[in-house]
Amino acid sequence: MKKMVIGGIILIVVLMAATFFMAGDAFQGDDYINALTMLGALAIISITIATALKYVNQIKNDTATGELADENWDGIGEFKNPIPSGWGIIFIGTIIWMLWYFFIGYPTNQFSQIGQYNDEVNEYNSKFKDKWKNPSKETLEAMGESTFLVQCSPCHGVDAEGIDGKAQDLTHRISKKQVLYTIKHGQHYLNYAMGAMPPLMAQGADAEAIATYVAGGLKGEAPAAFATCASCHGPDGKGMNGMAPNLKEYDETLVKHVLENGKKGSIGTMPSFKGRLNETQQKAVAAFLSSIKAE
Amino acid sequence: MFHWLEQRPFFFAVMLFLTVAFAGFIEIIPDFAKASQPVVGKKPSTILQLAGRQVYIKDSCNACHSQLIRPFKAETDRYGMYSLSGEYAYDRPFLWGSKRTGPDLHRVGNYRTTEWHENHMMDPAAVVPGSIMPKYPHMFTNLADIATAYANASTQKAVFGTPYDQKGMPKLGTWKEAKAQALADAKKIASEMKNQQVKDMVAAGKVPEIVALIAYLNSLK
Repeated sequence: MKKMVIGGIILIVVLMAATFFMAGDAFQGDDYINALTMLGALAIISITIATALKYVNQIKNDTATGELADENWDGIGEFKNPIPSGWGIIFIGTIIWMLWYFFIGYPTNQFSQIGQYNDEVNEYNSKFKDKWKNPSKETLEAMGESTFLVQCSPCHGVDAEGIDGKAQDLTHRISKKQVLYTIKHGQHYLNYAMGAMPPLMAQGADAEAIATYVAGGLKGEAPAAFATCASCHGPDGKGMNGMAPNLKEYDETLVKHVLENGKKGSIGTMPSFKGRLNETQQKAVAAFLSSIKAE
Repeated sequence: MFHWLEQRPFFFAVMLFLTVAFAGFIEIIPDFAKASQPVVGKKPSTILQLAGRQVYIKDSCNACHSQLIRPFKAETDRYGMYSLSGEYAYDRPFLWGSKRTGPDLHRVGNYRTTEWHENHMMDPAAVVPGSIMPKYPHMFTNLADIATAYANASTQKAVFGTPYDQKGMPKLGTWKEAKAQALADAKKIASEMKNQQVKDMVAAGKVPEIVALIAYLNSLK
């Protein structure tokens, strides 16, 4: 008995020494997980050997006692001893846990991929809102540029010049050709408070004069025919504070309306970007567009 | 109790089998009832779109483009709403893809237009600087296989019960009707395109691959 205990202690020490020799540097550095793992390894060594010693001792010295059952199989009998109480408690506990897990635990705590996604989005959105509550002009322009590069540049080009007329040149507001097209066909995509623009409000030389004036950036004396436009777009062409599209530059309202509703014009169709950019990002795109305006 | 069981080995074996099999039953049987249900409003592809789908498969678009948006914010920001299993109910075969050399295309119809695809398929790098996607000018001259697309749709209707010809669903009809419908759809796409050669071909009753492909890409929403 004594010999066995001494042998066990020697084995524990040897194994611990070997473990420490091979992986002892886990205690250096400030990563406590490594140290914890090492401590776990040492605990496993001592518990395993102590338990093994206990049972070897039991096999050597214990004798079975109790009342024999009536049956025997080829001379091998069976005691009528009850199971150890610890086993019994664990067995009943398992059954209770099974009922809880089956009816409450699993159904109410099921992992949901979509739930995790919704949490991720909500957390991000609230963080975004907090962080960019009062963005400076520089922040908006930088944010607008990166948003533009991801969402807009595939059509409008990385320089925003519209890839040789394949899309709107966003460094300029509007060309003469586009003004003439819009006067001829009207515009009903943008959903402004002022409503749709009916086609053929001006014709012939009047339309030409308006187109030259608007495409030129509304500089100098307005032609008489512009009065028709001014009734909605305002005498300065700036859209009467967001009631109608601004003809002079891309302001926040215009960018927002185009992104929400999409557009169809002389160049082609722009799809709606509804729900793809949040309000701050829409503002940012507008800020970016006014920062790259060509003079 | 155990003495009683131990004396009846056959009964014991049957009960043991049932006990072990129970876990299997409750895991397996519900899956038979949960066959893929199409999401509300999902329609099978029209003949022209199916012809475009064949072009998509033929030119191995799915080798570089996936059609599966995972539920992560980074993905939904860029591609739109995450994909649902019911959206693939009429896809035979599905084109999920397994590698993104290019972007996901599952909702490309929401944010790209006919004109954009036309410019892009002719010369991708001219539209997206630095793009490594090859050019596909042959699509502007090769003809789409409308007959095979019709056979494809008819087979799906007959074998898998794909709901063609039902109320509110795309019409299949006879081959003659289907051909006329496909040509009408193609004319609509061609009217938004700039390439004169393609317009002329469609006006002459021929459908180039690019028109069918654009019809298919626009239907991905």
